[in-house]
Amino acid sequence: MNIEILGITVLWVFLFGYIMIGAIDFGAGFFNAYSVLTGKQRILTNVIQRYLSPVWEVTNVFLVFFFVGIIGFFPKTAFYYGTTLLVPVSFGIILLAIRGSYYAFETYGARGHKGYSFAYGAAGLLLPASLSIVLTISEGGFVELVDGQPVLDYWKLFTSPLTWSIVVLSIAATLYISAAFLTWYANKAGDREATDLLRKYALIWALPTIITAGGIIFELRKHNPLHYENIQRFWPMFLLSFLLFLGTVFLIWKRRQYGAAFGMLAGQFVFAFFGYGASHYPYLLYPYLTIYDSFTNHAMAIALIIAFVFGLLLLIPSLYLLLRMFLFNKDYVKGKEDHHA
Amino acid sequence: MNEFLIFYAPFLVVIAGIVLSFFVVLKDDAVTRSEYKESEKTDV
Amino acid sequence: MDSVFYSRVLTELTLSFHIIYATIGVGVPLMIMLAQWVGIKKNDEHYILLARRWARGFVITVAVGVVTGTAIGLQLSLLWPNFMELAGNVIALPLFMETFAFFFEAIFLGIYLYTWDRFENQKKHFLLLIPVALGASFSAVFITIVNAFMNAPQGFNLVNNELINVNPLVAMFNPAMPTKVAHVVGTAYMTSAFLLAAIAAFRLLRGSNHIYHKKALYLTLKVGFIFSVSAALVGDLSGKYLAEYQPEKLAAAEWHFETEENAPLMLYGVLDDGEVKYAIKIPYALSILAHGSPTAEVIGLDQFPEEDTPPLYIHYLFDIMVTIGMTLLALSAIFWIGMWRKWSFVESRLFRWLIVISGPLVFISLEAGWWLAEVGRQPWILRNIMRTSEGATSSGQVPTMLVLFALLYLVLGIGSVVVLRRMFIRNPVEQEIADRQQVKGGDIQ
Repeated sequence: MNIEILGITVLWVFLFGYIMIGAIDFGAGFFNAYSVLTGKQRILTNVIQRYLSPVWEVTNVFLVFFFVGIIGFFPKTAFYYGTTLLVPVSFGIILLAIRGSYYAFETYGARGHKGYSFAYGAAGLLLPASLSIVLTISEGGFVELVDGQPVLDYWKLFTSPLTWSIVVLSIAATLYISAAFLTWYANKAGDREATDLLRKYALIWALPTIITAGGIIFELRKHNPLHYENIQRFWPMFLLSFLLFLGTVFLIWKRRQYGAAFGMLAGQFVFAFFGYGASHYPYLLYPYLTIYDSFTNHAMAIALIIAFVFGLLLLIPSLYLLLRMFLFNKDYVKGKEDHHA
Repeated sequence: MNEFLIFYAPFLVVIAGIVLSFFVVLKDDAVTRSEYKESEKTDV
Repeated sequence: MDSVFYSRVLTELTLSFHIIYATIGVGVPLMIMLAQWVGIKKNDEHYILLARRWARGFVITVAVGVVTGTAIGLQLSLLWPNFMELAGNVIALPLFMETFAFFFEAIFLGIYLYTWDRFENQKKHFLLLIPVALGASFSAVFITIVNAFMNAPQGFNLVNNELINVNPLVAMFNPAMPTKVAHVVGTAYMTSAFLLAAIAAFRLLRGSNHIYHKKALYLTLKVGFIFSVSAALVGDLSGKYLAEYQPEKLAAAEWHFETEENAPLMLYGVLDDGEVKYAIKIPYALSILAHGSPTAEVIGLDQFPEEDTPPLYIHYLFDIMVTIGMTLLALSAIFWIGMWRKWSFVESRLFRWLIVISGPLVFISLEAGWWLAEVGRQPWILRNIMRTSEGATSSGQVPTMLVLFALLYLVLGIGSVVVLRRMFIRNPVEQEIADRQQVKGGDIQ
């Protein structure tokens, strides 16, 4: 386990944290807007609103951790990804800004009118799509060096089936993860009506998620044979992920142990995501960047890891405190204790 | 001396400012004096 | 290469907008803490309510601060990839720690806001503010360390474009760091104090003669005075740092062309082909600022090649920053003495209008100060190592992104002002005190 692998693994965990919490947050925003559209607002809004309140800032920080971390551990990525990702990531920032500010304006400020909650919901879907472009680009074939400067071929990116299958997977997975979590959360809050509606959404989005996931591996065969060869070596992880997926759907279908169902869902995505990550080794960007030639100097690597460990010692207890007081505090979930500022 | 001024003095100035603020804000009798005057006026 | 120009414009736009919310984000937690501290110590509900209402407004500015902070964090790599590739090797540590500091603040702010009445005594609730204030100030400290590194890079050796024996801690504790960090943190408290003072004065002028606003005004202007003095002192120390380590920045800011002894300080004035005219000349002041003795020699711009000197208009930025800073120091001093000696003048409508104007003024001097710092470092992005033009991206899409981000900041700016106004106009202090009386059985007047 050399230091480069330790570095990329740590960052991959942060990215995974962002994808899970972000998916729940984005999906919740979309369902909230969708319920306003379809008049089911009174069923969903108070459950979603109570879940969202103190947690949204936490989501954002996971993303900041990931990109500051990757610049710290792999500074060369700044050169390759910085130049090529200006447009997709800028769109991501703008969508994040709309969501983040809308959220604070809405909760603490005035009751926003419908238009803004639609923007919030729409941004919830566009964000996973625009951020997933980064994974597409990492598969290589879209970036080439023109007199020393990396240039992104937008047309090729836009017309590649791999791009669209990853975009569709990111949207389907966002809605699936979010619906499954909110079903559990609504159930804990004892809101029968919301639980049933969200359970329906979870089941609707389960199938597209697993189909598009399979589709990507198929697309990979044409697009990046090296990676396809690599990914086959990790077939046990993907099989396990699929079995967990079946378990989740079964439990939700049978309206039993929504908590366990979400636990298995998390397991499904852990195996799939880390299977994908491990098979991506050693490339950060096919064929230009591997984790070895872009790794930072030894002194900075050690300093970052020490800072990271101390940081986690600081953050895990405070995160636990936050979750214990809100998400998993019985009274808060039931809405009894809402001592708003 | 110059090294002290550039490297350590700035922190001392800000920390002193913070500590001083915690004491200084307690003395608000210049404002509350008029508050008691007002409430006495209304009681009488 | 116009992508360099547009990258600079987009970066400057993002920083100029972000700094407003970031400064409030660093300064206001201390003000909330001071208010709640007095409220508990003197058992005065008005101060507790002050802390509560400030915290409510603070959440909006934090939200915009977070999203614009994420924007500049990403734009560093998107617009300046070559710079970040080099800097990433040496100064990534404080960038990483800033994220932790903010995360720490965000978590406890969430808890603080949601547990107002959950503790029996206010003291426990007050303790929650400490991590918020610490996290806020330290995120400013770490980001300013990165900026200081750009002005005084050290802790590595560059041998034919290869980085060797990197020492992250030495890079962090560079000579520019102490004065910059103390000035940034100190002026964050000063800016927040005058902002809140301006709001209190405005409410008093708008006819609400409630004692609550008078207490807020007195508290904020006292703190404003203390940190105006700190800003001036640390400003002077910064002059000493510049003279020693970055003379070209001081010389450009002061239009100090020839290296000479007992150098005068020039305020304002006009440049007429190398000749300074109509400036207010304060004899020996530049030598005192730079080295603490009236006869000391101050290095002039004649020591530097033409292409290495910063743009000369930073002289006006320096003067605006110092003039406003000194005016606010005087204003808060007069108010404090006036309240102590019971001069009725300091509670007059005119004086209160001056306090209201000090709000926008303090932000103008904040922006002038940051533009001075950033433009004053030109033509370098990493002093004496990498020129700004070499650090910029080669991507051609920067202009379109500039338009998109400008629109975004417009929406965020207007949105936050509208929400903040509506939040406090619909719920003035008198009404909130009345509401609390029914809830708590009338224990506060």
